[in-house]
Amino acid sequence: MSDLLVTLGQAGYPEAMPSVTLDHYLVLSALMFGLGLIGFVTRRNLIIMFLCTELMFQAAGLALIAFGRYHLNFDGQTFVIFVLTIAAAEAAMALALVVLLFRRRESLDASAWTELKG
Amino acid sequence: MDALGMITSTLTLAADATSGAAMPWWVIAIPFLPLANAALVGLFAAVGDKTRLPAWTTVISLAASFGLTLLFFLNHYEGSATTVKAFDWISIDWAASVEDGGSGVTALVANFAFYFDGLSLLWMLFVTGLGTLIALYASEYMDHDVGGGYCRFFAAFSIFVFSMSCLVMGDNLLLLFLGWEGVGLCSYLLIGYYYKKKAAVDAGRKAFVVNRIGDLGLLMAMFLTFTTFGTLEYAPLMEMVNANTTASGAVLSESWQVWAIPVLIVAGAFGKSAQLFFYVWLPDAMEGPTPVSALIHAATMVTAGVYLVARMNPLFLQDPNLIGLTVVTWGGTITALWSATIAMAQYDIKRIMGYSTVSQLGYMFAGLGFLTSTGGVFHVLTHAFFKATLFLACGAVMHGFAGQLDMRRLSGLWSIPGFKIVVIAMLIGCLNLAGFPFTAGYFSKDMILAEAFTTPDSVIPYSSVAGWILLVTAGLTAYYTFRVFFRVFVGPKHYEPGEDLHGADPAGFHPHGPRWAIKLVLGVLTLASLGAAGLYLVGDHGWAGDMVHHSTADVGALPWSHAEGAEHSAAYAGPAASSAAESGLLFGQDPHKIMYYVSAVVGAIGIGLAAFFHGPKGLTGLVIGGRTSSDKTRMDGLSRAIRPVSTWAERKWLVDELYQFLIVGPLWLVSNVFAAIDRFIVDGIVDGLGRLPRALGEIIRPAQNGVLHGYALRMLGGLAVVLLIVVVFAL
Amino acid sequence: METLVGQEAINPLLLYLGCGLGAVGVIVAMPRRGLSLALFGLLIGALGVGLLALGLGIHAGGDGLPNPAFYVFGAIALASALRMITHPRPVYAALYFILTVIASSGLYLLLSAEFMAFALIIIYAGAILITYLFVIMLATQTPTEEEGDNLSDYDATAREPAIASAFGFVLVAVLTNMLTLGTPGLPAAVATGDDALIQLPERLQDGFAEAGLLSDGERLVIGETGRVVTNESGAVAVIAEGSERRYIERAEWPADLSPSNVERVGLNLLRDHPMTIEIAGVILLMAMLGATVLARKQVDLEEEAKAHQAKKLAETFEKGTPA
Repeated sequence: MSDLLVTLGQAGYPEAMPSVTLDHYLVLSALMFGLGLIGFVTRRNLIIMFLCTELMFQAAGLALIAFGRYHLNFDGQTFVIFVLTIAAAEAAMALALVVLLFRRRESLDASAWTELKG
Repeated sequence: MDALGMITSTLTLAADATSGAAMPWWVIAIPFLPLANAALVGLFAAVGDKTRLPAWTTVISLAASFGLTLLFFLNHYEGSATTVKAFDWISIDWAASVEDGGSGVTALVANFAFYFDGLSLLWMLFVTGLGTLIALYASEYMDHDVGGGYCRFFAAFSIFVFSMSCLVMGDNLLLLFLGWEGVGLCSYLLIGYYYKKKAAVDAGRKAFVVNRIGDLGLLMAMFLTFTTFGTLEYAPLMEMVNANTTASGAVLSESWQVWAIPVLIVAGAFGKSAQLFFYVWLPDAMEGPTPVSALIHAATMVTAGVYLVARMNPLFLQDPNLIGLTVVTWGGTITALWSATIAMAQYDIKRIMGYSTVSQLGYMFAGLGFLTSTGGVFHVLTHAFFKATLFLACGAVMHGFAGQLDMRRLSGLWSIPGFKIVVIAMLIGCLNLAGFPFTAGYFSKDMILAEAFTTPDSVIPYSSVAGWILLVTAGLTAYYTFRVFFRVFVGPKHYEPGEDLHGADPAGFHPHGPRWAIKLVLGVLTLASLGAAGLYLVGDHGWAGDMVHHSTADVGALPWSHAEGAEHSAAYAGPAASSAAESGLLFGQDPHKIMYYVSAVVGAIGIGLAAFFHGPKGLTGLVIGGRTSSDKTRMDGLSRAIRPVSTWAERKWLVDELYQFLIVGPLWLVSNVFAAIDRFIVDGIVDGLGRLPRALGEIIRPAQNGVLHGYALRMLGGLAVVLLIVVVFAL
Repeated sequence: METLVGQEAINPLLLYLGCGLGAVGVIVAMPRRGLSLALFGLLIGALGVGLLALGLGIHAGGDGLPNPAFYVFGAIALASALRMITHPRPVYAALYFILTVIASSGLYLLLSAEFMAFALIIIYAGAILITYLFVIMLATQTPTEEEGDNLSDYDATAREPAIASAFGFVLVAVLTNMLTLGTPGLPAAVATGDDALIQLPERLQDGFAEAGLLSDGERLVIGETGRVVTNESGAVAVIAEGSERRYIERAEWPADLSPSNVERVGLNLLRDHPMTIEIAGVILLMAMLGATVLARKQVDLEEEAKAHQAKKLAETFEKGTPA
């Protein structure tokens, strides 16, 4: 079974890429994720905060595809499809919420909403 | 009697059928009937009963208790002690340890069991009997409160009888203590029955607090008893005491506990029975409804102290120096004189009766101290009857005159229609109290007085001095008793209504005589106090003597005694055996004989003085007094002549003020100091401890600022730190 | 599978230095009132990332120059991501994000994920980001005359950039810590994909027909699971009308016959994860409904008006749909 999988997985790849390791992609992914996280925390505009979450999705997608390539199967790519799905759904909902919130306060400042204050 | 006999035989048969032995199991119902009734009355209160039903159920349940007691006494009492166990109450075992001093005490057993001997039966008979009568009396007396506090009154009344039964019949000191505190509680509840009246509430509180001080003594006596004897049950306790040994095998009469336990017991008894320093609560307790004063504060509860000392008599007698009994004697004697002098100067007739109760309790203790527990117990019995009569007569006056008790505002009740029976009851009661010849009070008091002179000084120090003091007190008693009688019940007709008018117009006030319930009870009690004299004449040593003889209160035959049979002298090998035949004399005669005449003369002098100073003018030539109005007597001139003394006496020798200054004042000061310490130092520390988390919370509280970024940043930080820790420690 | 390419571990100091420089760069680049230091921050950040890249290059070791395309795409993705999170104007941020997405899709291509690369551009850059742009335009206050083109306060300043960057790069340093251990390189791909092909009978038939392996009327035998029937040696069965079935051995197959990336992804998606794709569909539907409900204008009707509306609706239904 595993033999079958190996051959199956390797079928789509033309050749090896000797000087790029999995680590390259993972480091890149980590940096993108970190930037998205920093952006989410530091920026006060609700829309940019959601953009930052999209950036984090990107980073996750990159890591997934790199892992898929590393393991020579297509589950990684399939998962990225779902990531895209969720990103789209999230964007739709979140942006609807942003519009709703903007109507309430006439502002996109996340700090304007502090009702959760203890 | 036939019906009673039938019931008896049926019950006996039932007992035989169920337990196999002739165990009169139904005596358990004696205390529990009133308790059940209290629950029932509580139920009435819960459903808002507005009738006299609570009174009737109370009377019926108490009458049933009395009937059962009587039944037991007539059919099952054979002179020996019987124990009937209701149920297990406290039973604790523990492993013997080295630390217990080798006493080998490994169990504490206190069952809900009842101990029947002459002493407890005698007490139970008059407790339940008087309880029934006084409940009947109260059904009328309390009728202004029907639908109000009526249920409360009868519930507390019933619980009182239950507690008193536990106190008297309990077969161990712990059950006695339960009853002891129970009667204290009921006393408190009933003194403060008129809880809207400040004086009543204060009096209740005073009674409670003063009693607690005495109870501490009793409690410590119980602890000491347990550590010494390893048991609180009378039967094994008395066995050990009579064998002059302790649980650890030491000789009892050589140990220190032999005087410490009695002294502590006496502290408790003096508290409950209002003696010496503790008497102050009893006169104030007269704020309660009169039936309560009659039952609790005259006839039954206050005699609990006498009962306790009588019950523990063997322990007292084991002390070679009789320290406990000496304290009892002199405490009683001094209290008797002290409160008699106060009673002489009071104007509130109920309060006078209160002081006279304190005084008579002093006699009872003195009687116990003079080793005539028969005399002491007999005086308890006669006093219960005649003092109840007196109180109930006072109550009838109070009831008829809207709470008026001031003798300066009442006079000549004899000529007011409807009060004849009250006056007669009062007269009989007063004659008893004054020790008029051939009344019950005369016989019982004489027994004590005679024994005072008989008892050698080597046994009780200066016992003859105590005897003289008591003799003088008897004269004073006669004086203040008849002072009340001559001022209130005979003489020119005059009355002013009291404060309890219930909204009626004072101008149009008409006294109303008692109705049938009060009349009936007064009649029965009058006859009973007269009839109590007859008890002196039956049996070898009088009925009370026989009862005491078959109980732990029995002192045996005293070596110096003339009256009590010499054939018993060998039986008593007590501490005073060395002083055998060394008995005192009074006027060169045997005190037991001469005392009949001496005390009669003393009583007559007292009555004569009362007649001279307070008697009305020209009452059938019998009375030599010159009183023509309710508030002018020959005494006025005399009391003016001895002004400061008479004023002090009226103000109760300023004892309350002295206590206020010596005890309450310093306590108030100390408690305020402690309150300040508590508020500023202890509370400060506690509050400080409370503020610490608050301050810590203040530090991290801004974290909960509700801003999304704050939470996101903290999540990020947490994630980073946790991962850092994982990586640093895992790699 | 154990084809380790870079065995020698990267110096941790280099890694931490790179992360530290990156953090400083991000902090400097954050939007602030007054002088914009974005470019300067970008440079510092680039220096840090360059250090990391150097480390990665050393790490990769191996023969020849490293793959330049990776570094180019990576640099574009990171630089535009940094600009995205630091640009004060949301529109520019969104545009920079599109650039990041495009660079990412380039990286996907390098990883032989062609389908996903294009799907990413179409869905992200084409759909999601356009939605963002719409919302940005919808939810921006019209600047008054005296304000001019000034930025709103919440766009112009960042919150706690230093702490956030520090934490963020600690996280990055922790995540990239595996560099110090050395991990295997990407394995060489095998060209043949026969086992995928037997799941694609039409494609196989066309391929065989083009190569002249099938005579007229011959077709592949398809089993119950939709796969081409094979024998023990893996040869596929072929059958003509009314004749015996014969087998075409693997060696005879045309060399250029291999399944495309789209085919492989499609197979994986529909064959291995059919349930999840259903769920994804439901999620999208719900998101659509939710967004509609949330974003519509709330109309508050009086009770009377509501009753009136209900009545009108009822009448409409009674009459039936108007022709």
